Amino acid sequence: MTPSLAAVAGLTAMAALSLWAGVLARRRGHTTSDLMVAARAVRPHFNAAAISGEYLSAASFLGIAGLVMQFGYDVLWYPVCYAAGYLLLLLFIAGPLRRFGAYTIPDFAEGRFDSPRFRRLAVGLVLVIGLFYTLPQMKAAGLTVQAASGLPYGVGIGVVTVVVVSAVISGGMRGITLVQGFQFAVKLFAITVPIFALLAVLGGPQTLLREAGRQPLPRLPQATTFSVRPGELWVLPAADAVRASSPIAARWLGRPPTALRSQAPSGFVGTPTSALPPAGSGRALTVRGRMVLPAGRILWQGSGTVRLARGAPVPFGDATPPSSTARWLQPFGPLAGGSGHPLLFTYSLIMAILLGTIGLPHILVRFYTNPDARAARRTALLVLVLLGGFYLWPPLYGLIGRLRAPQLYTSNLTDAVVLVLPRQVPPPWLGQLLSAVIAAGAFAAFASTLSGLLVSLAGALGHDIYGRWWHPEAGPRARRRAFRVGAALAALVAAGLGLLVAPFDISILVGWAFAIAASSFFPLLVLGLWWRRLTLPAAAIGVAVGGGCATGAIVTTMVAAGAPPLQAFLARHSELAVVLAQPAVVTVPLAFLCMVAISLARPRPPAAVGAKMLQMHAPERLGLRRDYIPN
Amino acid sequence: MGGAGAPPPPPPRRRGRRSLRELEEQTEVGQVFLRALMRRQLRLSCAIAASFMGLLGVQPLLAALWPRYGRLQLLGLPLAWLVLGVGSYPVMVALGFLYVRRAEQIDDEFSDLLG
Repeated sequence: MTPSLAAVAGLTAMAALSLWAGVLARRRGHTTSDLMVAARAVRPHFNAAAISGEYLSAASFLGIAGLVMQFGYDVLWYPVCYAAGYLLLLLFIAGPLRRFGAYTIPDFAEGRFDSPRFRRLAVGLVLVIGLFYTLPQMKAAGLTVQAASGLPYGVGIGVVTVVVVSAVISGGMRGITLVQGFQFAVKLFAITVPIFALLAVLGGPQTLLREAGRQPLPRLPQATTFSVRPGELWVLPAADAVRASSPIAARWLGRPPTALRSQAPSGFVGTPTSALPPAGSGRALTVRGRMVLPAGRILWQGSGTVRLARGAPVPFGDATPPSSTARWLQPFGPLAGGSGHPLLFTYSLIMAILLGTIGLPHILVRFYTNPDARAARRTALLVLVLLGGFYLWPPLYGLIGRLRAPQLYTSNLTDAVVLVLPRQVPPPWLGQLLSAVIAAGAFAAFASTLSGLLVSLAGALGHDIYGRWWHPEAGPRARRRAFRVGAALAALVAAGLGLLVAPFDISILVGWAFAIAASSFFPLLVLGLWWRRLTLPAAAIGVAVGGGCATGAIVTTMVAAGAPPLQAFLARHSELAVVLAQPAVVTVPLAFLCMVAISLARPRPPAAVGAKMLQMHAPERLGLRRDYIPN
Repeated sequence: MGGAGAPPPPPPRRRGRRSLRELEEQTEVGQVFLRALMRRQLRLSCAIAASFMGLLGVQPLLAALWPRYGRLQLLGLPLAWLVLGVGSYPVMVALGFLYVRRAEQIDDEFSDLLG
């Protein structure tokens, strides 16, 4: 991708804005609680914009479009369930949780069961989920900076980490709140304006779909030069005429698997298929001058540039299974259908994302900033409206990307499709302007979510681990310092891990954080708020079993991507592979089952559960309200 | 949503009402009141959640049992995409709106009964 000065300018402007807001917030006096929860009594419409601003992460802004481009229809479940998660939050959580006055999940865990030990378990899980959720944001940071400036992936992660940590350390939650509502506006503007420009230039969705229908396979819209490196894999769905700059050694590994079912399981969960065939397999091939490459898999062994003519079928990299347009357009395409168990896969995905939103550590804090339950419900409703308005657009980028930027399939860079497309709008100055806008939007996306997550992680590290267990006697100054050190530490770990996750898809990584949250905190919140017979041991065991199993399943899937024997085993047991890659369908019911069964088997409702239920469910108008406020 | 954000006026506390005291002191009668309120709210939430999840959950099943569903077109656009990727949002907003109105009604009725 060629660097673009305008995109760099867009990024720099957003970075400067974040830092400025941090400095501005620092000038006002602040207390520890200012750092962690912004002042209460925020109006619903502003609060809703701030919540949406924080929620629309890189997965929404970049990941959905990239994944739609790869897999088509099946990916629509992601945006729909991201938004619908808020419907469930509205229905079951927003009102009673606000009345209870707990503003983090550990607060709720401790307050509902009067157990500091349960709080520790919750803090541990907040750290796991938060960390999982920061990884894709880091990937997006590296990718965006790379696409805008041409700097290496790692540099982007480094720069963004420094900017976001500085903003969090100086301004805390208060500084973030200043920009978060504004950042929603930036993101909505940045996703809609370029798409309207693109549609105006390329024709409406009907025209685009007709064009896609005429091409059973994605074809290059213009002649394109690819530079290849040793170890790179191309999958050619059809024979391709190429022109090589110099002779390049390669091996032809045979035809691509016709039935995707026979593919290794990692192929459909969005992890790279790293298991290359043993050296020396296949047929040696030297690509020189003009020649026709046979359909099949080509493993490059030398480097050089290869030119493909306009209209040539696009070679696919190893991250995207090649699929015909008809298959791409229909349910159970390469993503769900490729798993071999499309219904199981789809329902598990729906469950993870729908239920996971509620368990994300940085979401509930915002509802505490509402004055009462009524405002909390109205805020959640407004968030639904705002999110619905946003999520209409990213899938369109995926469709246009398939037609107009299919070279991203070859380079495994489909996550960058939103960043790349606006440059195609003529005249060049307009394209440059739009790519500046989209780069600013992408920055707003990962920076706002990253800072919200860092505040949650730093709160857990500084407030709980340092302030409660390590140095319970520490004064407010020391606690503030611990919060800041915690933020820096969390960011450092996330940045380090971010360097490792470059090959994974952004939305797939996010989906995993959701699956863990759905299997642990969702049952805890729903049963804790609505079922008075839930006991402490039942809740603790349910959270540990659900969260633990989901984490274990996902880590196994990640490990399998790099371990051929495990991969081969999972390929033979495809039901197991699907459940490990999308564990929610098993782990959510498992967590509920543990909680209900243990509570019924050993009935021991916590003390004062009646008073707590009263606090959660009695309308404020009755005047019974007493906030549960942690120290 | 006008005026939603205004902080609630200091609640009028009428100590004299017996039922409110029962609620606050968690007597048997008070617990019965509270349980009734929770049951009404939970039933409302479950009904709305079930109708939404039903609408969502039937789509994969439809695609599995009737593969033609994936090929249907509306105005030159694939119907399945429109239903899921466009139609879902107004449905969830409408259901959310219904819920907020009804939940506030239930809360108000409860307050009127006791307060």
